[in-house]
Amino acid sequence: MTARVDAPLKVTGQARYGADHWFPDMTYGYLVLSTIAHGRIEAMDVTSAKNAPGVIAVYTPFDPLVLHKPSTFLGETWVPLQDREVAYYGQPIGVVIAETFEQARDAAMLVDATYEVLPAVTSMSEGMATAEDPPPSRFGSQSALELLADGVASIEDAIAASPVVVEATYSTAPQNHAAMEPHSAIATWENGVLTVYSGNQASNLQADELAGALAVDGDRVRAVNPFVGGAFGGKGRTSAPAFLAAAASRALGRPVKAALTREQVFTATAGRASTVQKLTLGADKNGILIAVRHDSWCSTAMDRSFVEPTGQGTSGQYYTTPNLSLSQKIVPLNLPPTTFMRAPGEAPGSFALESAMDELAVALDVDPIELRLRNASTAPIGKDLQWSSKHLDECFRIGADRFGWSERTPGGRTDGDWLVGMGTASALFPAGRFPASVELTLRADGTAVVSTSGADPGTGLLTVLAQVSGESLDIATDRVTPRLGHSTYPAGGFSAGSTGTASAGTAVMVAAAQVIDDLLGLATAPGAPFEGVEASYEGGAVVGGGRTMPFGELLHALGRESLTATGTSAPGEEVTKHSFGSFGAQFCEVRVHRWTREARVTRMLGVFDAGRIINEKTARGQIAGGMIWGVSAALHEALEFEESGRLANGDFAGYLVPVNADIPNVDVEFVHHPDTLHNALGAKGVGEVGIVGMAAAVANAVYNATGIRVRHIPITIEDLLID
Amino acid sequence: MRQFELTAPTTVDDALATRGTFLAGGTTLVDLMKLDVLTPQQVLDINGLPLRGIDTSDGLRFGALERMADIAAHPGVYPVVSRALLLSASQQLRNMASIGGNLLQRTRCTYFRDVAMPCNRRDPGSGCPAITGANRMHAVLGTSEHCVATHASDVAVALVALDAEITLVSEDGERVVALADFYRLPGETPEVENDLRPGELITEVRVPRLDWASRSTYVKVRDRQSYEFALCSAAVALDVQDGQITDARVAAGGVATVPWRLRAVEEALRGKPVTLASFEDAAAEATEGVKPLAHNAFKGSLLKRTIIRALLELTEGELR
Repeated sequence: MTARVDAPLKVTGQARYGADHWFPDMTYGYLVLSTIAHGRIEAMDVTSAKNAPGVIAVYTPFDPLVLHKPSTFLGETWVPLQDREVAYYGQPIGVVIAETFEQARDAAMLVDATYEVLPAVTSMSEGMATAEDPPPSRFGSQSALELLADGVASIEDAIAASPVVVEATYSTAPQNHAAMEPHSAIATWENGVLTVYSGNQASNLQADELAGALAVDGDRVRAVNPFVGGAFGGKGRTSAPAFLAAAASRALGRPVKAALTREQVFTATAGRASTVQKLTLGADKNGILIAVRHDSWCSTAMDRSFVEPTGQGTSGQYYTTPNLSLSQKIVPLNLPPTTFMRAPGEAPGSFALESAMDELAVALDVDPIELRLRNASTAPIGKDLQWSSKHLDECFRIGADRFGWSERTPGGRTDGDWLVGMGTASALFPAGRFPASVELTLRADGTAVVSTSGADPGTGLLTVLAQVSGESLDIATDRVTPRLGHSTYPAGGFSAGSTGTASAGTAVMVAAAQVIDDLLGLATAPGAPFEGVEASYEGGAVVGGGRTMPFGELLHALGRESLTATGTSAPGEEVTKHSFGSFGAQFCEVRVHRWTREARVTRMLGVFDAGRIINEKTARGQIAGGMIWGVSAALHEALEFEESGRLANGDFAGYLVPVNADIPNVDVEFVHHPDTLHNALGAKGVGEVGIVGMAAAVANAVYNATGIRVRHIPITIEDLLID
Repeated sequence: MRQFELTAPTTVDDALATRGTFLAGGTTLVDLMKLDVLTPQQVLDINGLPLRGIDTSDGLRFGALERMADIAAHPGVYPVVSRALLLSASQQLRNMASIGGNLLQRTRCTYFRDVAMPCNRRDPGSGCPAITGANRMHAVLGTSEHCVATHASDVAVALVALDAEITLVSEDGERVVALADFYRLPGETPEVENDLRPGELITEVRVPRLDWASRSTYVKVRDRQSYEFALCSAAVALDVQDGQITDARVAAGGVATVPWRLRAVEEALRGKPVTLASFEDAAAEATEGVKPLAHNAFKGSLLKRTIIRALLELTEGELR
């Protein structure tokens, strides 16, 4: 077996992603986007578009495809074209369906919208004055938390009583997931059943959303998604082209393919919020924290559909403190919507907290690692449930040794004309599970098939499913065929919250125990080969009475082609006993040119405690990808919105992500401590924790190299020019 | 992209006899056609024309269709030219893009590239949103109230520093123009980017012999390590005799509306000792006439620093 089950298909171009499918009589949809940030569409002239060559239909709010807002456990999802309101520049306001992609695109350019333009709020600085409490029942919506030690009247008092105080305001830029695969879909209707081929994070969730949007029964919708070209939270919800393709296909009776262009992806999907965070840390002379105050603001769309909570997962969990105050406000803006993006909350939140901790270390003249270890939490702050397994100290010890941390000096060092600095930060991401079901089938040919509805958008889940199944069935991994990405499979393996392996993996263990049990039942039934024998299962075979029969042979003997069991697993009692998280120590070395002030990361290392690592290679890939994205957030990525609400850099020429030359060396190490208090498999998550803390580690290294503290990301050349 | 007709002439005369837009590497033209910025009806693929050859025996001569990658890799090319090429775009683009096309590449101003926005360069008189908009990447030198777009080429900066000339042919005949004179400041007519006449074709690029340009370099400062346009760049060649600078060539990119020759810096370097103080004094001359916009005020400082860095790199181990 290859290291990744899906690698041969991907590297030979045979993996068929959603938009790679093709059907006879297929039509093509091209979206029309708004060119104002706020207002009402007064009219849309579609005459020339409708008369353009090859055009089949033009749908607008004046002649819409009917869609209903679907509601799932993620809440409501917005659907396009249902009203004339425009809430951001680049919002989908129409779709042209034509015989070819080119015809649809050319006609879309002929659609002429006129607007009643209303005042728009497009910047955080403008919107901060009217910040609001988050609406209830949204992800991360807790608006305030205050814990005070006995006898302390207020957080202000606790700070005032602290011998050493650092206080600063940090900000982080809005980002787009910018996945390689643009949001796209192909929809077909056959005999009243809709099939949609589209990249997503859980095919069952997509099928539910489409059924809701189209007001049809769930069993009439199939979502197919065997491969995903990157998701990162941005393909949790169903995209505008998927809704429009599905509805247009129903209306036209033909297959419809709709894909966003790269430029459209930047506004017609959702991205990461901007954040502003005010941090105050109070400590005693030994660096023991007395008070932590973390006030957060995040941008959100005008529908207030998402909150990026930056304090709860960071200051609420990292460091023990007798006095803690967290607040979260939202700033509604006329900008594209926000949503989950790798470590939502923790990624920008850790930039602020871990920068502030570095500032505190400087103020105290204490080693930054030492400061962190002195204050390391044993439980989320104010909670009784201790971390089930936390080896952050070991991560720092190994990391410091491996990275050469002892060579770091407070003022950095120089190498020719380069100023060289080292930085560090902690990473923490909660470990959780979603309910998951998997189907496990033993086949008479001696192989097994494992199926669940979730997705492997590069995470390695497909390979891990095969491994855990092989292990649970005590057979070689290459005898297991893993299947993901079909909504008819049992619901499980949602690629979200760093839960895929722990959730689906434990369900596999349950399914394996069941199918083995069923197999033994069949083996010992009257007339079966092991009748009347004390039989057991080992090495992929039934053993008893001096005989060994591999399960394939046994199924043959029983006249069966296969035997299937379903296993389900969900969070249970363990959540009443412990708190769970993955932890990490991030290190990086940054060089800043003495004259021209470019900051370049030259080395980085992350040492992580993520429980049992099922597959070292795919886990490393996840962590390294997260760390690289952290560098990208620290030095490159920012959506630049103009006052008009127009995105000034909505393509890969303007929206910078690191290229290979920016990422010379990524070193990842794991400490291996299976966490069986969390789940039977012992695995925690690796999908998100790798990005957490990295931006702060970069900023802290920049400070070490230059003495310049930059409290916003991305850090660019002008931040480091001193004249 | 709109429908267009594609023909492929095989002689220069045939190419000149047909009205249309010339396609060489296509790395600018096809890009802008996809964005609907350029909508030619007739495209002439000139890759079959005999405009090839790299000759370094007496100065440099490049056929206009020579690829950036091939010129960069040629051993006889002055370092400032090959470095400017190698720091441009990506290997894939350098394999496609021609030297002639490079000199005609259009600005990367995002407003120029977005047909939903006004742009005086694309649509004369429609306005310039960059002046009050997202202008961090824009020019601080050679700007006008009608346009502040930066010239995007790296190698043009090196070539202007080296007094390069280009040969242009049309049905009216052939002419040779200094590259520095070829480019036009935006002034009142930003839509006129250069002196190229309708139907005219660049056939050759020539650099006069300059032996001391063996001591030359191109420093490019940008937001990431590769595959990004310059925030600021400096093309510098230096002639040093006995610790004294006897001559210098200096030009800047990423900061101006055209490749920006810095004769005042050159003059300030001549006759000076190889010291940091000489470099700093000379670099201070670079910012004469700088007009910062809201988001690019750092470019003046960065320009001086980029020049100093280039000078230091060229005199490593010789600095007094």
